[in-house]
Amino acid sequence: MREPRPLAYIVSSAASSSPLGNYLDPMDDGPSVSVPGPPNAGRPRAAEPRASTRSPEGYEAEVRTLASMSRGIYPLARAEALRGLAAVLETADACGGAVEQCYGCAVELMRDEDEGVRLASVRLIALCADKFAGREGWDGNGNGDQTDLMFLQLSSMARDMSTKVRIEAFNALGKSHRVSEGVLLQSLSKKVIKPNTGSGSIIKGKKLPPKLIFPCAAGIFAHGIEDEFYQVRTAACKSLGALSKFSTQYAQKALDLLMDMMNDDTEEVRMQTLQTLFYMATYGCLSVQEMHMHMFLGLLIDMNALIRDATRKILGLVNLPKLQMFKSAIDVLITSLEKNPEEQEIYSVLFSVGKNHGSFSANIAKHLAKEISMPSDAELILDKPRIKALLIVSISVSFSDDKHNKLDIPEIIFLHAISLLGKISCALGEVVDQDSLLSYLCQKSGTPFWKTRLLTAESGESEGCNVETVAGIRAQIEKTEKSTKCLDQVLTMQSMKIIIETVERAWAMRKSCNICDVRTILRTCKEELRILASNSSGSTGAFLRFLCEYLDAVQFIVEILQSIQLDNSYDLGPISLDVLLEKLDTSILKMKCCYAGFNREMEVQVCELALLANLLRLSKDRIHSKLVLEKLHWTINRLECLCADGSCELSYFSREIKKAFDANFAGSDVCTLLELFHLKPKTDYGMLKAISAVLQVRDNDSENPSSYVCGLPVGVSFDISLCNISRHDRLWLRMIVGESIQHTFLELSSFGGNDEVKCCSTTIPLFATPMAWSFVLRVCLVMECPYGSISVHQRHGGPRDSIVQLCDELDVYFVCTEQR
Amino acid sequence: MAIECLVLGAGQEVGKSCVVVTIGGKRVMFDCGMHMGYHDSRRYPDFARALALFPGAADYTAAISCVVITHFHLDHIGALPYFTEVCGYHGPVYMTYPTKALAPLMLEDYRKVMVDQRGEEEQYSYEDILCCMKKVIPLDLKQTVQVDKDLVIRAYYAGHVLGAAMIYAKVGDAAMVYTGDYNMTPDRHLGAAQIDRMKLDLLITESTYAKTVRDSKHAREREFLKAVHKCVSGGGKVLIPTFALGRAQELCILLDDYWERMNLKIPIYFSAGLTIQANMYYKMLIGWTSQKIKNSYTVHNPFDFKHVCHFERSFINNPGPCVLFATPGMISGGFSLEVFKKWAPSEKNLVTLPGYCVAGTIGHKLMSGKPTTIDVDKDTHIDVRCQIHQLSFSPHTDSKGIMDLTEYLSPNHVILVHGEKPQMAFLKERIESELGMQCYYPANNETVSIPTTQNLKINATEKFIKQNLVFGGDMPKVGGCSEARGILLMEKSKTPKILCEDELLHLLGMEKHLVHFEPLPCSRMKEAESTDEPLLSSRIEEVKHTDGSAVQQASLADLGCERNG
Ligand SMILES: [Zn+2]
Repeated sequence: MREPRPLAYIVSSAASSSPLGNYLDPMDDGPSVSVPGPPNAGRPRAAEPRASTRSPEGYEAEVRTLASMSRGIYPLARAEALRGLAAVLETADACGGAVEQCYGCAVELMRDEDEGVRLASVRLIALCADKFAGREGWDGNGNGDQTDLMFLQLSSMARDMSTKVRIEAFNALGKSHRVSEGVLLQSLSKKVIKPNTGSGSIIKGKKLPPKLIFPCAAGIFAHGIEDEFYQVRTAACKSLGALSKFSTQYAQKALDLLMDMMNDDTEEVRMQTLQTLFYMATYGCLSVQEMHMHMFLGLLIDMNALIRDATRKILGLVNLPKLQMFKSAIDVLITSLEKNPEEQEIYSVLFSVGKNHGSFSANIAKHLAKEISMPSDAELILDKPRIKALLIVSISVSFSDDKHNKLDIPEIIFLHAISLLGKISCALGEVVDQDSLLSYLCQKSGTPFWKTRLLTAESGESEGCNVETVAGIRAQIEKTEKSTKCLDQVLTMQSMKIIIETVERAWAMRKSCNICDVRTILRTCKEELRILASNSSGSTGAFLRFLCEYLDAVQFIVEILQSIQLDNSYDLGPISLDVLLEKLDTSILKMKCCYAGFNREMEVQVCELALLANLLRLSKDRIHSKLVLEKLHWTINRLECLCADGSCELSYFSREIKKAFDANFAGSDVCTLLELFHLKPKTDYGMLKAISAVLQVRDNDSENPSSYVCGLPVGVSFDISLCNISRHDRLWLRMIVGESIQHTFLELSSFGGNDEVKCCSTTIPLFATPMAWSFVLRVCLVMECPYGSISVHQRHGGPRDSIVQLCDELDVYFVCTEQR
Repeated sequence: MAIECLVLGAGQEVGKSCVVVTIGGKRVMFDCGMHMGYHDSRRYPDFARALALFPGAADYTAAISCVVITHFHLDHIGALPYFTEVCGYHGPVYMTYPTKALAPLMLEDYRKVMVDQRGEEEQYSYEDILCCMKKVIPLDLKQTVQVDKDLVIRAYYAGHVLGAAMIYAKVGDAAMVYTGDYNMTPDRHLGAAQIDRMKLDLLITESTYAKTVRDSKHAREREFLKAVHKCVSGGGKVLIPTFALGRAQELCILLDDYWERMNLKIPIYFSAGLTIQANMYYKMLIGWTSQKIKNSYTVHNPFDFKHVCHFERSFINNPGPCVLFATPGMISGGFSLEVFKKWAPSEKNLVTLPGYCVAGTIGHKLMSGKPTTIDVDKDTHIDVRCQIHQLSFSPHTDSKGIMDLTEYLSPNHVILVHGEKPQMAFLKERIESELGMQCYYPANNETVSIPTTQNLKINATEKFIKQNLVFGGDMPKVGGCSEARGILLMEKSKTPKILCEDELLHLLGMEKHLVHFEPLPCSRMKEAESTDEPLLSSRIEEVKHTDGSAVQQASLADLGCERNG
C-alpha cells in the first residue's frame, strides 16, 4: 500500500500551491513532483493576474489542464480547478472555445458531492453566462434556448441543501441577461406549468440533459422567500426584483411574493424587499393595486425609521390608479409627518406624489383653498403640518405633466406656498433655482411687487409652470439683470432677517418649550440658510455660511444648557457633554478662523460666544482648569481691547464675567452668569470673506490607485487652491494612514495668484508608507488657529495650536507594487 | 452484492413504519412504529418475518444488528417497547437526543390512553418503557457512529418534529438513506431537512403527500389566522386538535405572535400537562429548532408564550370565546374527543383539522365531506354544526419536496413508504420518468432487492503515476480528455495493480519476445484458415516503441488476464 500515496500527495499539493505557477505552464519541462507549495503561500487563489504575458495558446493550455484537474478525485482540488478556470475566464476575452469548455466543466460538477465544488461551479456558470451574453450578436439569434438553459441550471442549484450554494445561485440568477417569460413564471410557481402553453421553446428541439427539464425552475422563488436563512431570503428577494424588468406578467406576480415578504421577521429581509420594490418602481414595473395599499400604508408608519424612509421613496415613484388610494396615501404621510416632525423629507415625497397624480392633487388643492380662505384664525392653521403638507401637494400640480389641471389652482394656494419656498425648492431638487421659483410663485399669487416687473418682462399669460417655463422665467429675469440682481439681494436679506428673528425667538423659548421643538426650528432654519447660501456669493454668501456656523454653535449651546440644567441627566452622560463642548469649540474656532474681514461687532460677537463656551466648560468641570482660565483671560482681554475706543460697548454679560474672573470666581455662581448671556446675532457683516480651500489629487481614484513600495516614501501630487488666505495664516497638509498622522507645512510663498485666490501644484512626500498591499490615505488641509499665546497641543513637527479643517477629507488610494 | 429491503410496516399505508434492510450482511431495522388505526395484532409490525430473514438466528438480538428510530411519533416508535421488552430484542437502539427525551412522554401518554381509557389489555408497562429507553444510544446530528466493524450510521436533520432525523447507513461500498418523516420547507419553529450529497444505492423516502404540491405557507397562515380571528370575534370557540409536539408549538407561535400584533385578549389554552411539559423540552432543545428561533433565542425564548395558559376541565362549559389546543390530533379519542362532543353542535365554533388524518378517526370522517352527525359508538351520536377549517400545516414534505430531495441525493434506486397506494404509484411514475431512477413502493411484508455498485481498490506503480497522473507530464490528450494507458495486473490474493507497459516484463520476470508478422493478403486468407495457425490479426494493434521498431502486441487486458490464468 505504498503506491497510492504519491498520487494523493501530488494532487493535494497541486491544489494547495499555485497550480498556475508551479505545474501548469506548458513550457515547463516535466513535472516537479517533490516541490511543495511555497511555505508562506497558504492558499493563494489560482487567480494570479498574468494577463500581460499570456498568449492565446497559453490560455488554451491552461483551460485544458485546469479542466482535467477538475475531474480529479479530491474535492478541494476540483474546487480550486474551477476557481482557476474562473480566474482565467476573467482575464481572457471570450473568444475561442474557452468559455464553452469552462461551462462544460462547471455543468459537469453542478451535482458534485462537495459543497465547495458546487459553489465554485455556480460561480463559474454565472461567469460563463456573463461571457456568453457579452458576445456580439448573442442576443439576436436564437440563443434564447441557451440562456434559458443556463437559467434553469442555476435554478436547480437554488434548491441545494447548502446555504452558501443557494445564496450564490440566487445571486447568479439575478444577473441573468435575458430569460423567456415562461421560465420566469415557472420560477414563481411551485406547480409545474405545462411547457406547451405560452413559450414552450425551451425544450423544443433542444437536447437537454435528462435532469434539466422545465420543472427544475419550479417555484424556486417561492421556496427562496420562505427559506430558513435570511441571507438566502435576501438574495432571492434581490433577484426577484432584478428579473422583473424582463416581463410585466412576471413583475405582477413577483409583487405578490414581495408583499408576503414584508411580513418577514428579519429586518434585513424587509429592507431588501423595500429596495427591491424601489428598484422595480424605478424600472417602471411596479404596479400597485388596491390590495397592496394596506401593507404599504402600514409601512409608512412603521416603528423603524429606515423602513419608513424606504417606503416613502417607493411611494414617490409609483402610480396610484384610484383617487381613494391617493388620498389614503397622502393622509398616512401626514400622520407620519405629525408623528415624526423631524422627517422633513416627507415634504419632498408629498410633492412627488402630488406631481405624479396631477388631477388628484388638483382636487386636493380645491378643498384646501376653501379651508384656508375661511376667516377663522387662518394664521394658526398655516403652522400645522397638515396644511403645509396639503399646500405642497397642491402646488405640485403646477409641475405635473397633467396639463388640464394647472389653471385650477386657486391664487391663495400660491400665496401661502411662498412661505414654503425652501421646502418646495428642496423637493424640486436642482432643476429650478429658488429665485425663479419665488418669482413664479409671486406672479401666480398676484403679489403686486412682482407683478409689475414680470408682466413687463413677459407678454401674455404664463400657462402653468413646468420645469421649462420656470427656466424660461429665469432667462427673462437675467435679461433685466441689474434690477433683478438687486432684488435677489433684497430678498435674501429679507429671508435672512426672518431666519435670524426665528432663531432669536427659539432661543428665548428654549426654557419654556420642549427641546425637540427648538431643535427642529434650528434645523429648519439651518436648512433654509444653506439653500440661500448656495445661491449667494461674495460677502453675502460668506455671511450666510457664517450664520450656518453660528446656528450650529447656538444649537450646541442649547443642548449643553439643557444637559447642565437637567444636572447629570441620564440620557446625556458626561461623555456626550464632553463631545458637545468639543463640537462647540470647533464651531467657534471655525467662525473665528475661517472668515476674514470681520468688523468689530462681529468679532465681539464671536468672542462672546467663546466666553460662553469657556464658561460652560467651567460649569461642567467644577474644577477650574488652568487652560480654560487662560483662554477666558485671553478672550476677556481681547474683548476689552476691541471695545477700548468706544466704537462698541462691552455687554453686561462680558462685564460680569470679567468681574467674576478678577475675583477668581469666588462667590459667583457660574450658572447665574450663564443666564446673563443674550443671543443677538449681528446682521451687519461689512466685507466679510470666507476662507476656504480646494484640495485635489492628480490621477488617482479607487479604480486608478497610485503605486508605492512598502516602507519607502512616496510622493503625492496635489492641486491646491486657497481662497482669502492671508500671508500670516499657517497651513498644513494633514495625511493620515490608519493610526499614523503626518503633517506637512505649506509654504504660502510657493503659491501663485492674487490675494483672493492662490493656487499651487505640488508633490508632497508621504514618508512612512505602511507594510500593506494597499492603503487609503486621508488627506486634508488644516489651518492653525492661534489662541493668543496659549499653546493647546504639544505635537512634534505639527501645528502648534488648535486647527480647523479647510476642506473635506480626501481619499488617496495606493497599491503596493510587486516586490520580486 | 445487493440490498434486501423488507417492509414490515408503512408499505402502501401510513402507520407502523418499520423497514428491515439487509445491507452487506448487516440487518438494520429503521423505525419500529405502531398503527393507530388498529387495536388488534395488526397494530404491530410482523416481527417474526424479520427473524425469518436470518434462519440461523436464535433470537431477535442475533438477527438484527441495530434498530434506528427516526423520531418520536408513535407510528415510528410505538412498537419499540414491545419489541425490546416483550419480543426480547437486546441489541443496540439508536435515536437522537431529543427523541430519547421525548419518546417516553409519548409512549406513556399513549399507554395510558390504551389501558385507562379504552380498557385494553396492557401490552407493555411503564417500567417496560423505562427499561426500553435505557437501551437507547443517543445520536447527534452528523455524528458518524460505528455500530460494528462494518456498519456505519449517521443522522441528518429532517425538520418534521423536534429531533427528527434522516439516517444514512453504509456497509462497505453499499450506502443508503432512510428519511423517516421529513420536511423540505422550514416552518416557524423547525428548520428544513438538511443532508449532504453522497453516493447512494438506495433512498427510502416517506411519501405522505406523493401527489400534493402545497402553495406558499404565507397564504395558509393568513387563511388560518383569518378563520380563527373571525370565529373568536363572533364569540365562538376554536378547537385545535393536535399532537402534543410539533403542530401545537408551530400554531402556538403563530397565534401568540398574531395575538400580540392584533392586541387580542381572548384566552388561548393548552389542554394537557403533556403539552406544557413538551414546551419545556423545546425550551431546552433550542439547538434543534429553526435558524430564526436559534437567532432570537438570545433575546427571548420563543417558547415562552405570552398569551397561553393552562386549561381546566371545568372550562369546557364556560361561555365566551377561546382557543383550545387539545390532544390527540385526529380526534381519535381522549380529551379532544371530549371537547369535540361538547363544542361541535354550535355553528359559532370552529374545529381546525390537520392536513392528514388516519382512516377511521373522527378527523378523517370530518374531512371527507362534512357530515351532520357522527357516530362515535352505538350509543353516542354527535350533532356536527360547527365550522371545519382544514389546515394543511403539515410537517411532511410535499411531492415537490420529495422530488427535490430525490433529485438532490440522486440515488440509484428509490423505495417509497409511508403513503397511500394510488399517490405512490403516481410519484413512482414521476421519479422514473423525470429523474430516471428505479422506483418501488412495496406493500407490507414484501421484500425488494436492490443491486449495489462495488468499488475495487487498485494500486499503481510509481512510474505509472509519474507518467500519467502528474500534471505537466506527457499526458496524451484525446479530444480535450486525458487518457492514461497501462496494464491492469490481477493476481490471486493480491490487490490489483496498474502499471506501465514496459514494467510488465520486469515484474513477471520474463524475457521480451519479438514476434514478426508478415502482412496477410486477402488471397491467402483461405490458406491461413485451413492451417492451425491462430488468426491474430483481428486483435492485434501496433505500438511504436522508443527504438522505433514496430512490434505487434496482443491487447493489454488480454495479456494480463492470460498471465493470471
Ligand atoms: Zn412523523
